[in-house]
Amino acid sequence: MSIKIVKKGLSDSIQDRGRYGYQHLGIQPSGCMDIISAWLGNYILQNDLNAPIFELHFPSSQFLFDRDYTICITGANFVPLINEKSIELNTPIQVKQNDILSMLQPIEGRTAYLAIQGLLSEPAWLQSNSYTGKILEKEQAIDFKVSHLPSGHNQVLTKDLIEKVHAQVFDHQAPIRFLPGPAWKDLDEHSLSSIVNDTFTISPQANRMGFNLSGPKLTLNNPNAYLSSAVTRGSLQLLPNGNLIVLMADHQTIGGYANLGQIILVDLPRFAQMKSGQPFQFSLTNLGMAHQLYHNIYEQFKY
Amino acid sequence: MNTQIGNWKIYALGDHAIVFALEAKVDKQIISKIMSLHHLIQNKKIDGILDCIPSYHTLTIVYDVNTFFPKQHNTIEYLKSFANQMICALETSHSFSENKKSSIIKVPVCYDLEFALDLENMSSQKNISIAEIIETHTAKNYDVYSIGFMPGFAYMGIVDDSIQMLRHEKPRVNVPAGSVGIAGVQTGIYPSNSPGGWQIIGRTPFKIFDPNPQILAKFKVGDQIQFYAINKEEFEKLNEYKS
Repeated sequence: MSIKIVKKGLSDSIQDRGRYGYQHLGIQPSGCMDIISAWLGNYILQNDLNAPIFELHFPSSQFLFDRDYTICITGANFVPLINEKSIELNTPIQVKQNDILSMLQPIEGRTAYLAIQGLLSEPAWLQSNSYTGKILEKEQAIDFKVSHLPSGHNQVLTKDLIEKVHAQVFDHQAPIRFLPGPAWKDLDEHSLSSIVNDTFTISPQANRMGFNLSGPKLTLNNPNAYLSSAVTRGSLQLLPNGNLIVLMADHQTIGGYANLGQIILVDLPRFAQMKSGQPFQFSLTNLGMAHQLYHNIYEQFKY
Repeated sequence: MNTQIGNWKIYALGDHAIVFALEAKVDKQIISKIMSLHHLIQNKKIDGILDCIPSYHTLTIVYDVNTFFPKQHNTIEYLKSFANQMICALETSHSFSENKKSSIIKVPVCYDLEFALDLENMSSQKNISIAEIIETHTAKNYDVYSIGFMPGFAYMGIVDDSIQMLRHEKPRVNVPAGSVGIAGVQTGIYPSNSPGGWQIIGRTPFKIFDPNPQILAKFKVGDQIQFYAINKEEFEKLNEYKS
């Protein structure tokens, strides 16, 4: 029972919530770039929320199904096709033996998810199927144990959830919220104002390790040397040239650049879905608010 | 969230991590205190803690927002009380002294010029003979202050003044696995082939990282390392990279 890659994509991979518990050995957590869209795909198919899922970028891989499966595509809209006929996003889709899934063009977002109803049978490493830098290769076959669950979700509730997720992940007018980090106090006065008032854009140098930004040059009062310490997904690191890089899923475990702040969990999927060239603004928030926003989204995924 | 308890500064790092920090110094006493707290928190096996990452003067706790907090709580108050409990437990525990007995890990290094890509250049720039560089590099024990950059890459210090050298301005495209390098006050070993800017002075035949879950990284933060020189024959005999 397997799903085969018949055409290799640019950088598609299998991801889950990531590999935690080993960062003290330098092992990166990795995991889904847009965890909310990944949850949505798994939720619609009644999988475990953090079940391994295909993460796709454009141009995407083509998949050949060796039997009937129920699949669901969430996240970015790359116009998914089954045998050249377009299919709905955020909807359980029945595919048949020898069907081929491909993606036509990137309409919205940067990262799409392909969830398969059932359970991945590939071996995990250190309790996770997310691997840093391991992309899907041509002819690779991925095994799934298919499960069929008896009842569907309440259609009305699911529709409501899809709208909420879309608003959270694809409203690119909304600012990207962050909490100030240890080097925040070292920014000069002009930079403190520019980071929250000026517009930044995502540069073409953006991948699963980090997104480089272009925008106003930021400067520190005392260009300190910092001893390396742990960074997280969403850390805003100030490079010596005055530009920011935001660390993403495949980030290294420690970093030695000035750590100005971290994007909050609930806004990371929206940030991850922004294409290169997309303008946006940052805004400050607080820890209590960040947790409340996270719970507001997470609570929606209760079975 | 930002609070001070004795010498410790404790602050939130974004919305899913908290940092315990001491004075920002590369210091043996400081790293062993960080490691005592690291062991103490790991041994408690607290629900919702995903990672516990020591590095130089900081210990960063990464938590799961859903499971780390009790049902009814005030986020800031809970984090402060968590920090208080940990520091109190540390001060009443004996783990600090237990840690000190960490054994010394001996690591063979072949300084042959075939492997030591930057040794000749270092010798002329620092005006010190190759033999003296090797003698100096192997003369002392190094402490592991941090692990990162790639799985198992240990940042060790402190390198003697006479052989300190800054990273290459332009990193090499490929540094072979096992390469032993110097970057400023630090020395370290590349666990796998990788781009890198450190000044390469030799190569170890030992595997520094093995994906086998029973093995993983050869070094942990807080370990003490001593390098000793071997020749090429010995290198070939000990070579763990041969398939």
